[in-house]
Amino acid sequence: MSTLIAIGAGIAVLTGIGAGIGIGIATGKATDAVARQPEAEGKITKLLLLGCALAEATAIYGFVIALLCIMFLG
Amino acid sequence: MGDLAAKLQEELTCETVFQIGDIGIAESTVITWVIMAVLLIFALFMTHNLRVDNISKRQAAAEFIVVKLNSMVEGMIGKENRKYVPYLVTVLLYIGVSNVIGLFGVKPPTKDLNVTAALAIMSIILIEAAGIVKRGVKGWCKNFAEPIAIVAPINVLEIFIRPLSLCMRLFGNVLGAFVIMELIKQLVPVVLPLPFSFYFDIFDGLIQAYVFVFLTSLFIKEA
Repeated sequence: MSTLIAIGAGIAVLTGIGAGIGIGIATGKATDAVARQPEAEGKITKLLLLGCALAEATAIYGFVIALLCIMFLG
Repeated sequence: MGDLAAKLQEELTCETVFQIGDIGIAESTVITWVIMAVLLIFALFMTHNLRVDNISKRQAAAEFIVVKLNSMVEGMIGKENRKYVPYLVTVLLYIGVSNVIGLFGVKPPTKDLNVTAALAIMSIILIEAAGIVKRGVKGWCKNFAEPIAIVAPINVLEIFIRPLSLCMRLFGNVLGAFVIMELIKQLVPVVLPLPFSFYFDIFDGLIQAYVFVFLTSLFIKEA
């Protein structure tokens, strides 16, 4: 039983893949944008922070679910 | 491993410190009182004996802090919504301090799901109230059918999703940072935790406070 719970928690944490790809793309584009227009850095940083926070939320949900799996099923 | 799970369990549960009648006072509430007292004493110390001209260094510092924070939040929320700035700055200070307070060996109140849920509910009430103030009750109801009527259920659902995601994001981030720090400390107890502590305890906590306020002000702006 505990093996299955561990596997389930591991699968839940796979949400991190999406967040990683998303934040990677966002940061890459932001770097691009700053290289093109260094004077707009403040605005770009703000948007990047927002995008990262929204993308990161999915990873956090997966993490919370995994933790709840281990805590309350195990 | 069992040791760590037990420790996590202990950190997750928020103990009741004492009781008033039937109402239990949780640990996070007491720590919140401490944070409130610290912020209040700091504010009183910084602002006593203010003058218009020939200002002291302390007053200059206080003015600098207030103006910086106000203009930062005002930049996010826009000039027309200036009346919500004091609340948002207060939330920013509270979340920021309570995320960093873990450095002093107390349990951060934001690691209690109830605290983040309360903050998120306060945010959503403010967001919807801002919408009502801006558009009137009729316009606020009509706004659910924007841009076309068929998306109305999704717009109604958003009232519940927004606070859930605000609450879970803050809670999950603080808890995640804590778990990772504990794992690192078990692996290598010396030197190595230091740079990670900088990132997870200080930088991440402040960023999360910023993100919480940023999202709330964004929602207020488009409410």
